[in-house]
Amino acid sequence: MAPDRRASRGYSSGVTIDGLALATRGLVKRYGARPALAGLDLSVPSGVVYGFLGPNGAGKTTTMRLLTGLIHPDAGSIEVLGRPFGRGDRHRLFEVGALIESPSFYPYLSGLENLRALAATGAPTPRGRIEELLELVGLRERARDKLQTYSLGMKQRLGIAAALLGDPKLLLLDEPANGLDPAGIVAMRETLRHLASTGKTVFVSSHVLGEVQQLADVIGIIASGRLVREGPIEQLLQGEGEVRVRVAADEVEPARLALASLAPDGGVTASGDDDGWLTVRIETARAAEVNRTLAEAGIYASGLEAGSDLESLFLELTRGDGSGSHEGTFFGVAGGTR
Amino acid sequence: MRIFVASLRKLVRRPASFVILGILIGLLSLILIAVAATASQPGAPEEQRAGLLLVTFPGAYTSILSFILGLGGLFAVIYGAAIAGSEWTWGTLKSAVARGESRSRYQLLSFAAIALMIGIGMLIAFGAGIVVAVIGANIAGVSREGLSDAETLGTLPELLGRGWLAIVEVGALGFAIATLARSQLAGIGAGIAFFFGEQFATFFLSDIVKYMPFNAANAVVATPGEGGFSGGGGGSVISSLEPNQALLVVVAWLVGSLLVATLFTERAEISG
Repeated sequence: MAPDRRASRGYSSGVTIDGLALATRGLVKRYGARPALAGLDLSVPSGVVYGFLGPNGAGKTTTMRLLTGLIHPDAGSIEVLGRPFGRGDRHRLFEVGALIESPSFYPYLSGLENLRALAATGAPTPRGRIEELLELVGLRERARDKLQTYSLGMKQRLGIAAALLGDPKLLLLDEPANGLDPAGIVAMRETLRHLASTGKTVFVSSHVLGEVQQLADVIGIIASGRLVREGPIEQLLQGEGEVRVRVAADEVEPARLALASLAPDGGVTASGDDDGWLTVRIETARAAEVNRTLAEAGIYASGLEAGSDLESLFLELTRGDGSGSHEGTFFGVAGGTR
Repeated sequence: MRIFVASLRKLVRRPASFVILGILIGLLSLILIAVAATASQPGAPEEQRAGLLLVTFPGAYTSILSFILGLGGLFAVIYGAAIAGSEWTWGTLKSAVARGESRSRYQLLSFAAIALMIGIGMLIAFGAGIVVAVIGANIAGVSREGLSDAETLGTLPELLGRGWLAIVEVGALGFAIATLARSQLAGIGAGIAFFFGEQFATFFLSDIVKYMPFNAANAVVATPGEGGFSGGGGGSVISSLEPNQALLVVVAWLVGSLLVATLFTERAEISG
């Protein structure tokens, strides 16, 4: 994590926000009787990377579609770059770049031709911009190859290039790391951070919590169509996190008593499966303290796992979301020990 | 204009454009040569010899155009459906709308490019048909005197213009069907079903079917009451509209189809 980065941006707890790049108020969207969004209030400050998180079916993609005018809300309002965005305001999207769900291209055209075809729509694209973007996403060498010969990661990179065509002030990316290799993920992260440093706003929806934790300045967590938490990431993660430690099954109780000094008020729980695992509710950075405390009590850990802080917060906030598949079972298999 | 040019570029690179044109020309050539070869056999029955009219100029000009409108109508509905449906299936319409493009403008300019491609395809098929008919006339030993008939040649531009409008109307129908279906395959399937459904319905509802898109399109260049060489079984069994009346019906179908496609796209919730 890079707290300095956000501190240098002047965005921390309690800092006033000059302007919002994106805001929704009471956004409601129903598919038949089922509400996909039930009054969503998002506030995305300008010039930040905003991580938009939520379990499957929580309403993330519906939100993305609403923000790009693909679908229309049943109630509520949207503001894009400080101005209202409704049915007749498609021109507002000239300053927005988007990659929604999977990248969409003509399979029989090359990457270059696909970008040219897309550039013919919406706001005019400056001359040379396409070549510049192909270079940026590392597709210059393959630009003239047909899209059907591209790998998933290459299509994703072309999708990111397509989102950047109009040099947008606001970038909306739905799972941008999908299919990218590790080097591609790092490059994408650096590119998005660079864009934010130039004053652009990057709104990223993702399931990869670790990735969002490294990338985002501000996060919003959505569950059952409502925003359940929003704010600067380091502020939200204060006091969050957990460390899991494994001891011999007959030492679980002494270990729990020893670790209670680190996490009082029921902050230490045993898994209940007699497998020796204990969960300690403390910041992950204090994992070494857990190990030391156990050693001082004459108990030696056979396993230690520092979970993601964001993961803990995410699971805690979305636990009641019936739309999600993270809870209880996953494809019918019992979930973890959390 | 940018969208029109870009759409044209897409269509030029699209394999479906060449495959459909190739099949049309192939079938046209096969039929003309086969008819010329069998009709010219010594001792061929009178009905078979009547087939020589297809390779006898100047009447061959209208016959070839009627064939293009008949079987080409089926291909045009498939083509229109393939282009419109793929925009939904591949999600490319979604990308354009998310860039702030007007849905109506995108659809109409995309269709304008299709209409131009259909026109070019029709001219190529017509030219190829004339060449094959000349070859057929040679095989059958039919005179080619009428090839340069000034009167017929004078009416060709109007006939081709009417033919283009008729085939574009059928393409628009496919475009609208695929837009409503939001799918390439479903659009093509429904378009083909419409084509054969209309041909089948001629046996029961001929007075109504003559106003339907494929029959009206055939009647635009056909001699009244003749039904034309539709390749779809219209023939003289059914009554057809007067050419000028058919032209009005064709324009109505064309405008209606585009209106439906545009309004639906304008109001549609785009997902996937």
